[in-house]
Amino acid sequence: MAATLVVSSRVSGRLQQILAAGKSASASCAVLWRRGYSSQQEQVSHKVDLPIEMENPYKEPPKRCVLCGINVDYKNVQLLSQFVSPYTGRIYGRHITGLCGKKQKEISKAIKRAHVIGFMPVVYKDPTFLNDPKICDIRHPE
Amino acid sequence: MFPRWLVPEMASALKRTIEALMERGAVVRNLENLGERSLPYKISKHNQDHRRGGYFLVDFDGPPTIVSTMMDHLGRDVDVIRPTFLKHRVSKTEECSGIIPVNYEDKLYTKKK
Repeated sequence: MAATLVVSSRVSGRLQQILAAGKSASASCAVLWRRGYSSQQEQVSHKVDLPIEMENPYKEPPKRCVLCGINVDYKNVQLLSQFVSPYTGRIYGRHITGLCGKKQKEISKAIKRAHVIGFMPVVYKDPTFLNDPKICDIRHPE
Repeated sequence: MFPRWLVPEMASALKRTIEALMERGAVVRNLENLGERSLPYKISKHNQDHRRGGYFLVDFDGPPTIVSTMMDHLGRDVDVIRPTFLKHRVSKTEECSGIIPVNYEDKLYTKKK
């Protein structure tokens, strides 16, 4: 019975027939009536209601690491010492420093270079730099 | 780096190294004094232990073959504790665009071509 109803609804003239004959629930009658109504109208283009394509206006600027834009040099031992453990002198990993890939590599290369050349101590952090502002927090790594 | 000598000694040692550089065909651009300070660790060289030293930075342009000969020469110099040769890298940090979020899902599976 449902199949026959669907076929007949395509033709607008048969609307009243369906309404009269309908012994089925009123909900299905209402649906058919709505469908019939839309086919009576002109062909509405389906593209008017689509959202306008644009770049995400709420896009946040890309996150920057602490050293973005700062030149890393093997000579400034103070900067390099900030990324080194004060107890053992070991270089902190990426998950602790929070630096991006490029800068982490640059820092670790610079630190190793400073070790060899004799600018920076290897197994401890220079005591004059112990009270510097803390960039890497071991207790709460991001 | 030089051990702790009197200033005229240091000056003569510097003069020697720069003359040696120029002999081998290098053009010395700049000489910087990075100060005299205590070394980060004890360095023993030429049967001596050094704890203090003067740091000097020499900018020069020269052929790459100069490096091995100069290292040899400076290794024999009693006044030089630790000679080092580095490339003068022109640093450019203007294009740092920040951390670009990586799509880990794509990286997990290898793309079979």
